[in-house]
Parts: sequence; structure tokens; C-alpha cells
Amino acid sequence: MHWLQHLSRHCLLLLACLSALTLAIPQEERVSNFFGRHTGTSGHTNNWAVLVCASRYWFNYRHMANALGMYRTVKRLGIPDSNIILMLADDTACNARNQFPGSVYAKAGRHLDLYGDNIEVDYRGYEVTVENFIRLLTGRVDPSVPRSKRLLTDDRSNIFVYMTGHGGNEFLKFQDNEEISAFDIADAFEQMWQKKRYNEILFMIDTCQANTMYSQFYSPNILATGSSEIGENSYSHENDNDIGVSVIDSYTHFVLEFMEGINKTSQVSMQDLFSSYDPVKIRSHPGVRSDLFQRPLESALITDFFGGVSQAEIFPVIEDADTTTQHIIRVSSPDHVVPPDPVSPQAHNGQDFDKANATAVMPQKDAVALDVRWRDIRKWTSIVIVGFLVGWVSLVR
Amino acid sequence: MESPLFLPTLAACRLLLAWVQLPVLDGLQLDHQLTSPLTSYFRLKEGLWLYHHGVDPYLGGVLKHSPLFLSLFSTVSPGRVAWALSDIVGAWALVRIWHSRQQLGQSRRDGLVGAAYLLNPYILLPSLASSTSTFENAVVLLTLMFAAEGRPSPALLALALSIHLSLSTSLLLVPVLMLLVTSPTSRLASPRPFGGSYWMVFKYASEFVVYWSVLVCAASIMAGGVWNWMHESWGASLILPDLTPNPGLWWYFFTEMFDHFRPFFLMVFSTHLAIYIMPVCIKFQHDALYAAFLLLGILGTFKPYLTLADPGLFLSMFAVFPEIYPYLRHAVVTALLHAHASLLLPLFHALWVIEGRGNANFYYAASLVMGVAGGAGIVDACFAGMRIAIGNGSEAERGKWEVVQQ
Repeated sequence: MHWLQHLSRHCLLLLACLSALTLAIPQEERVSNFFGRHTGTSGHTNNWAVLVCASRYWFNYRHMANALGMYRTVKRLGIPDSNIILMLADDTACNARNQFPGSVYAKAGRHLDLYGDNIEVDYRGYEVTVENFIRLLTGRVDPSVPRSKRLLTDDRSNIFVYMTGHGGNEFLKFQDNEEISAFDIADAFEQMWQKKRYNEILFMIDTCQANTMYSQFYSPNILATGSSEIGENSYSHENDNDIGVSVIDSYTHFVLEFMEGINKTSQVSMQDLFSSYDPVKIRSHPGVRSDLFQRPLESALITDFFGGVSQAEIFPVIEDADTTTQHIIRVSSPDHVVPPDPVSPQAHNGQDFDKANATAVMPQKDAVALDVRWRDIRKWTSIVIVGFLVGWVSLVR
Repeated sequence: MESPLFLPTLAACRLLLAWVQLPVLDGLQLDHQLTSPLTSYFRLKEGLWLYHHGVDPYLGGVLKHSPLFLSLFSTVSPGRVAWALSDIVGAWALVRIWHSRQQLGQSRRDGLVGAAYLLNPYILLPSLASSTSTFENAVVLLTLMFAAEGRPSPALLALALSIHLSLSTSLLLVPVLMLLVTSPTSRLASPRPFGGSYWMVFKYASEFVVYWSVLVCAASIMAGGVWNWMHESWGASLILPDLTPNPGLWWYFFTEMFDHFRPFFLMVFSTHLAIYIMPVCIKFQHDALYAAFLLLGILGTFKPYLTLADPGLFLSMFAVFPEIYPYLRHAVVTALLHAHASLLLPLFHALWVIEGRGNANFYYAASLVMGVAGGAGIVDACFAGMRIAIGNGSEAERGKWEVVQQ
């Protein structure tokens, strides 16, 4: 008769699995809905920035200031140093020709020191090479490379790649002795896509003929913008008379000016940034490439790329353990959740949850009540024991 | 101070202080001189919150209090009145210890003894900071009070409770047992061998073990397990998991130490506490209360997670032993060292943690000064307790005998 026992045991196991599955499926749905990409939301969970200044020497002061200005903006909007890879030649601040040693300014008048005492340059000097840049992007770094010099992104990372320096038709000059081509960057991004190393990339480039650099991309989810068309130069914005060289490039200057109005809670979209481009003021024609980008630009927020903003959901205050579990289950219903921004994924998925959770609420309510009862019993037992001991000792002995 | 209304007035003032919400006292609860991870009010509240929400409060290493605190404060809310009452109970117990020692119903010095506990800033400030060391001190004083009054069962129960609350108090086990079988009156000036009955000591020890086991059972039932709370609460004194800076001498060693040597140093520090028990008890076998006093001093200097309440208890108990005052050689030095330490500790802590201009070495230097202050107090009390037996070497006595070995 033991085959009957085996059969019954297997049936029980199957039943257990099925019931676990039916209870687990709503959980799966909830998780995938939270993390999934919805129309309008980016679906990213972390932000990275790769800021590259590909020039060196004193007269390329403005490229250093470009990169440092972007660095400051990106840090201000919430991306931590651990998620920023800053590649600079870093020969400006302590240059012998710098009238203001240890400082790099981006505006005439020198009001804001971008170099300061709290920046982290990851690749400096001769480490800024094409090979290091491509290795950084693709993740094929030597095992001895420290974590701070690696791009530790995953498939939910939004990356902001900013490059500045001297460039031309589909190339960018690195440190005056080598160049990277648009095809190299495009292939590197494709490798990243294959290895699931990014969710979305914003590629911004400020060089002469910058728009050619993004013309060769072919991987999805890349939004690219550049400072000038093919055959056009990108100009510097202004000189500072005491520093003696140009301190900022025109395109980057206007982008940074735009960013000064953005803070972490801003709902300004990428389309607003691109609409603010004024070719007359910038003195070149900035371009945008959004055909590879799968979301409408009006719903892509600036902070999706420039900021390290995390989405927070407000739960009602938990008063008592009795209702704890119920609160956590019920919070997805539309009248309980408080979505301040329209892109929250919860708002239009609330309806699905109610039905799914109807079965999950029932068995847990009893378990919680029993738990509370058991805790109270334990507490009062211990109090009674101690009280009895004290009473016995004081009265009897 | 001689008026019979003095102590009730002090008690009323202490209750008033608990009832009035002074904003300047709010920051005290965070002060690392007044609270430690084992006594912190915030951790207690965190443990209570976790307990009420069905999470095992001992899981995360946050709560290091005994489960009996949890059960007490989940029925009675942890208001400041509880701390004020505990202070008053401690002062009352100290006065009763004084009475037992002097075999008097009341005396003119009662007010002074009570004030030495209630007005001692080392005791008052941790109490205002809602540190549970107040309760630990009160229970220790109750133990000594019951033992001095010759009531063995309450004394052993209080001792079991005090060891349960703080494992380091187990140093007091031997002197309390000795005190129960001898008398609390001062025999410092005329020492004689231990005259108590060893059989009674053994009986009391087994009774203590019974009470202690019952308390352990009650605590285990409350915590829902035996090992979790023992590991967090008693294990903290032995394993030192939390290296929050405190005025004690342990934490700095362990911040700067290789893991390889950690068990060795833990053993050394723990053994260092334990080795004082037998010498002190043997030397002061004629006066067990004084032995307990000295061991409280040792605890107040070398405890794992020291706060100011521990040297505070030692200093307050000086009031019970006026016979040694003429024989204290450097009382002023000890007082000044304590003054130095109590000023430097918060200063260097703020300099290090809040302003970021100093570092841990400054703070540890200040806690070393506190250690020297504590050591000076113990050494002085120890020598005074022994010197009192020889006399002060006045002219009249010098001709009568000669001290060959001191």
C-alpha cells in the first residue's frame, strides 16, 4: 500500500506548490509592475554619470570648466560621487599659469569655484585615454582597477554621458594624441546594451561638429544631443580677463544656465531643455537625436538623467500590528496611495491589485491576531512570574 | 540639612524636575557620557516599537536591554516619573544602608547621605537622560540595603535582578553573600577573620541561583527564546559588539585592534574585572560592605560600557563611610581629577563627533583621565580602609607599637 502513500504525498506536494503559486502570482505581478517600464516612466532605479573632458593644456581651460560644471550640476541634483565617473586631464587648477591656484571658474567674474575641495576625479591626466574610456563603458577593465573607476551599472541604470573637447566629423580628439570615432562609441554602447549595462543613456557632447558623433548610434534607448551640426564650429562663451583664457563653452553654458533652474523635485522634461536651445545665442545649431529613444520626450524628465532621484511612496502611518499587514496590502488601492507625480506606476495599476489581493488578505489576518495574542500572553506571563517571585519573597520570606 | 524635611523636599524637587519639561534637558538623552548602548533610552524605545510590531527586538543588535525592561515598559509607559522614583528609591536605600551600618534609627547625617545620591551630578544627569543605569543603581543599592539589614531573601532576589540587568554586577555576588552572614557595622578599625558560617553562604548561594533561574525563565518567556536576549544583553558585556564611544576604557582598544587579537583582549578585560573579587573580599573579610563598596568602585572604572552613573554610585557611597575620611590621603586630587574628566569628556566628544576637529584620541585621553580619577578614588579608599586599622600614628600611640609591614 505504500504506492498509495507515495501518491498521496505527491498530491499534497502538488497542492502545496499550486497554492503557493496562486498566492505568489499577485506578488510577482506587483513586483514586475513596480519595476517594469511603463509608457511615460523610465523604469530606472539608479543614475550614473560619465563626464569626460578629452583635452589637456591651459588653453583648453574651458573644456575642464565644462566638465566640472556638469559635475557640479549632476551632484547637486543628487547623483552621488560613487555613481559619477569624472575623467579630466586635471592640469588646470594647479597649473603654473593659473592666477587663482586650486580654483576653476566657469564664468567671468569668478563667483563660483567649481574645483573646490570636495570633488572626486576618477581618471586624471594620462589615464584619460580612448582605451580607458571604452573599457570603462563596456566593463572590460583589468581586475586591478578599483571600484571607483568602474562603471558598475545594471539594466536599470540611467547613464548620462557627457563629452567635451576638440572634435570634428565623427571624431573626438583625446588629449592631443589620439582620437575616438563615432563608430567606436556606437559599438561600445551596443556592447553595453547586449550586456544589459544600461536602461537609458543620455549622450551629450560639446565639440565642433558635435552632432556627427551621435549619428552612428544603433542601440535602443539612447537620447543624444550635441552642440553643433556638421561643418559648424562650437564657440566658447566668454573670457575672463584675469584668468586670460575662455572659461566656458557656449552650448554648455546655456545648458548649465537651464539646469540652474532645476532642483531635485523638478518635473521639467527633456523636451523643455531641447526647446530652450537658441541657435542665435549659442552661435551654433544644437541637435537632438531621439529616434532610438522609446519614450516621448515630454515625459522624459531632466532628473531621469541628471539627478539621482528616488521614487518614494507614502504609506499611511502604521498604528497597530493588527492592521499592519492589511495596510501593506491595501495601500495599492487608489484611495490610499498618494502619488504626487503623474508618472508614478502605482496610480493606474491600483485596480489590478485589489482583485489579486482578495485571496491573500484572508489567511493573514487570523495569523496576525494570533501572533498578537501570543505576544501578550508571553508578556503577561513574564510579568506574573516576576511579580509572584517578588511577592513571595517579600511576604513569605 | 539636619531638618527631617530635607530629604522629602529633595524628593519632591526631583519629582518636580521629572514633571517639568525643560528644553535644555532634551539633548541629554543622546549624550554618550550619560548613556551607553546597554542603557540608552532610544534603544529601549526602539525595542518597544519592534516588539509591538511583531518583530523580534533582539534580531538587529539594536536592543541590548533585558527583556524584563521590555515587559515592564510595555505595560507602564517609560515616562520620566519612573526615573525620578527610581532615584528616590536609591537615595532611600542608601540612607537605610547608612542606618544599618551605624545601627541607628535616624541620624543627623541622613540628609547628607540622601543628598550625596540625589544631588550627585553623576547620578542626576544620567537619570535625566532616561538612562536605565538609574534602575540598575537603584537595584544594587536595594541589594546592599537588604543585605545590610539582614534580610537574605529580598537581598538575594535584588542581587539576582541586578545581575540580570547588568552582567558586570556579578562582581558583587561574593561580598553580598559575605555581608549576609556577617554584620554591616564598621569593623574596619578592628579587623578579624571571617566569622560567618560557610554552610549559610552555600545555602544563600543556592537560593540566589534559584531566583536567578526564575528570572531567566521569565525573561526567556518574554523574549520568546533563550539565546537571542542573552547574546545581546549579557553577551554585549563579554563580546563588545558595539563600539560606541563612552567614558570607559574598553572601546578604543577594540576599534584599533586586529580581529586576530580580539578574543584575547576580551578575555583579558573580562578577567581583569574578575580578578579583583577574591583579593578585595579576602582583605576586607571583616567588613563585607566595604568590600562591596570597593568592588563598585572597580566596576565604576573598568566596566565594559561605562557611563557616568557607575563612578557616580561609587562616589555617592563615600557618604556611608565617614570613618575613613581622616585617612584619605588625596581626596582633593581625586575630586579634581573627576572635575577635569567630567569637563573634558563632553568637550572632546563634541570636538570629535560634532565639529570634526578632534579625533578619537582626544576623547580617549579624556576617558583615561576619568580612569585615573576612578583609580585614584579606589586606591585611596582601599588604603584608607586598611590604614584605619593601624591608626594615624599620633604621638601618643607611636610609642606603643611599631608598624613593621604596611
